Amino acid sequence: MECLMGLVGKDFVITVTDTMAIRSITVLKHDEDKTRELNPHTLISYCGEAGDTTNFAEYVQKNVKLYGIRNNIELTPGATANFVRRELADSLRTRSAYQVNLLVSGYDHKKGPCLYWIDHLSALAQVPFAAHGYCAYYCISLMDRHYHPDISLDEAMGLIRQCLEELHRRFIINMPRFVAKVVDKDGIRVIDL
Amino acid sequence: MSIMEYNGAAVVAMVGKNCVAIASDTRLGQQAMTIDTNFQKVFPVTDKTMIGMAGLATDVLTLRDRFRYKVNMYKLKEERTIEPQTFAHMVSAALYEKRFGPYFIEPVIAGMDKRNQPFICSMDTIGCINFAKDFVVAGNAGGGLYGMCESLWEPDLEPEDLFETISQALLNAVDRNALSGWGAVVHIITPDQVITRQLKSRMLDWADPTVKDKAVRYTRL
Amino acid sequence: MDARIDLNNIGFDFDLTKRNAGLEANGATAPKATKTGTTIVGLLFKDGLVLGADTRATEGPIVADKNCEKIHYIAPNMYCCGAGTAADTEFTTNMISSQMELHRMSTGRESRVVTAMTLLKQYLFRHQGHISAALVLGGFDVTGPHLYTIYPHGSTDKLPYVTMGSGSLAAMSIFESRWRSDMERQEAIDLVKDAIEAGIFNDLGSGSNVDVCVIEKGKVDYLRNYARPNERAQKEQSYKFPRGTTAVLKTSIRDLVQVTEDTAMDIST
Repeated sequence: MECLMGLVGKDFVITVTDTMAIRSITVLKHDEDKTRELNPHTLISYCGEAGDTTNFAEYVQKNVKLYGIRNNIELTPGATANFVRRELADSLRTRSAYQVNLLVSGYDHKKGPCLYWIDHLSALAQVPFAAHGYCAYYCISLMDRHYHPDISLDEAMGLIRQCLEELHRRFIINMPRFVAKVVDKDGIRVIDL
Repeated sequence: MSIMEYNGAAVVAMVGKNCVAIASDTRLGQQAMTIDTNFQKVFPVTDKTMIGMAGLATDVLTLRDRFRYKVNMYKLKEERTIEPQTFAHMVSAALYEKRFGPYFIEPVIAGMDKRNQPFICSMDTIGCINFAKDFVVAGNAGGGLYGMCESLWEPDLEPEDLFETISQALLNAVDRNALSGWGAVVHIITPDQVITRQLKSRMLDWADPTVKDKAVRYTRL
Repeated sequence: MDARIDLNNIGFDFDLTKRNAGLEANGATAPKATKTGTTIVGLLFKDGLVLGADTRATEGPIVADKNCEKIHYIAPNMYCCGAGTAADTEFTTNMISSQMELHRMSTGRESRVVTAMTLLKQYLFRHQGHISAALVLGGFDVTGPHLYTIYPHGSTDKLPYVTMGSGSLAAMSIFESRWRSDMERQEAIDLVKDAIEAGIFNDLGSGSNVDVCVIEKGKVDYLRNYARPNERAQKEQSYKFPRGTTAVLKTSIRDLVQVTEDTAMDIST
C-alpha cells in the first residue's frame, strides 16, 4: 500500500515517498519519513513490513556511517547498494528475515547520479527509474513513456507530478502527502512538489 | 506461480567449430511488470569460461558473487585457472549442497578448455549436470529454445555462423515468451577472442537516433 | 562460523529452507528437478550379470538430455544403475564409489558388492527416503556375481533378474516371459536390450538409446549406446542464416593472449 518512486536525471536523482504509517485499516501517522541518509551523497528509501523497514534502514545507515568514519572515505552509492543487498540476502536465510523493499539513490562523483532498485527478495538492479508497491503499476508505465536519459530537474518534477496525479485519480488508497528528495553533487535536499 | 517464473529469464549455449557461444535475454521483471531491461545473467568466470544463470534474480546475484569468490580461491590455492569442466563440478557441488533448500537457478556453462576444446553443460536447480555436445538451454523460454535449437543448430559452425544461429534461436524463442526478452546479449568464445554483442530485439534503444517515436518498440525492429 | 565464507562445509546445508518455505507460503511453487524417468534392469546369466538402462532424462514433460548415462561406476568390478531424481542418483553413487575406493586402499582387497549395497542402504535409510535414488547394483566379487535393487527408503532385494524405474513394468514383462537361469552371454545381452526397449517404447519417461554393461569374473564390458533405436533422421536442408541476419547494437571484442610453453623469450643463445 506504500509508494516509493525514483528517477535519475541528467545530473541528479529524485526519490519520492509517501508519508503514511499504516496499521491494518488505520492511518497512524501522516508525516512519516521513509528515507534515511546513509552518507552525504547516498539516500535510501524503503517500504514494507512496519518495524522491519526502519530497523533495517537504520542498521545499514549506521554501518555505512561507520565505514565512512573508519576508513575516512565514503562508500560509493554502488558499493552501498551491493552492501545493502548482501545484508538483506543474508537476513533472508535466517528465521528473522526483513520484509523490505528499497531504492538506493546516490550521486557518485565519478559516475554521476544513480538509482538502485532492491526488492524484498534482495534482487538488485541499477535502473533509470523505479517504483515499489502498488503505485509501481501506475507510475512505471508513465515514467517509461516520458523518461529520457538527460531529463532536466523541472521536467522530472513535472513527470513526478503526473505520476502523483494519476495515483490520486485512480488508486483506491488516499495518499495526501508525499516527500521528494533530490540527490546531486551538492548532497541531499528536500524539494517542493 | 512458480518461483522460477518470478523474474523471467532465457539462457542458451551452443557448440561450434573451435568455439562456443552463450547468450541470454536482459529482462528483469517482477512477474508481469518489467523492472530492468539491462539485467545481466551471463558472467565471465575465466578468460575462456562463462556462466549464465536463469531463475530467481536474487540467487543469480548471490551465486555470481559466490562463484567469483570460489574461483579466486581455486586460483590462489592451485596456482592455475580453473577448467570449464572443473568449474562445472564446482557449481554442481555448490548446488547439491543445498539439495533440501535449493537456490532457484538453472546454470549454463560454456567455455574452451586448455586444449581449446569447446565445452558446454547445463544443470537443474540441485546440480544434476547435463553434458551436451550440441546445445543447452535454461529459463522460462526453455521449451521454445529447445525447439529453436533443435531445428537451427548444426555441427561445425564457424564463430560468425554460430553467432547468427544462437542469436536467431534466442530472439525467436523469447518473442513467444512473455517473461523474457527486452534485449539480448551474445558472447562468442574462441581460442583467442571473446566477442560480446548486444542484439537489437523488441525494445527501445535510446542510443539509436532514428528511434523518435517510442511506439516503434512495439513492432519488430 | 559465518556460512558465507566457509568452503569446507561438508554435507547438506539447510540455510535456504527457511527462506524457501517463506516463499512457498506466499504462493510460490518450487521448481521440478531433473528426473531420470527411466527404465533400468539387471539380470544374472551363466558367467556373470548384465545391467541395462535407457538414456532419457526429463524435466516434467521436457526431455532434458537425450543421451545421458545412467549406469554409474562404483568400483572396477561393480556398476550401478540409477533411477529417480537425477542429481540424487549421481551424487549418491559418486560418494559411495569414492568410499569404496578408500576402502580398497585401506584393506588392499577387491571390493565386495555387499559392502557397496550396505553403504547405499544405510545412507538412503538415514535420509528417510528424501534422497530419491532407486538403484540396481551389480558386480562380480570373490564370492561370485551379485545383483541387488535398493529402494529410496533403504530396503534391498537380491534377485536373479530385476527392473526399476517408471519403465520397470514394461521391462519386467519381457523378463518374466523370457528369463531362464544359466543363459549364454549374448542371449542375456539381447534380453536386456529387449527389456530396455520395451521401456523406451512403452513408457514415456524412458527413451532414446540402450546402454548395457556386462560384468563377468575379472572383466567388464561397458557397451555405451549398445542399441540406438531412435536415430534422428538427417536434416535434408541447412537452416544456416546468412551472416548479418541479426541486427547488432554494440560489439565489444576482448583479445586473449596466447601463452605458449616454449622459449620464445629465451635470448641466451
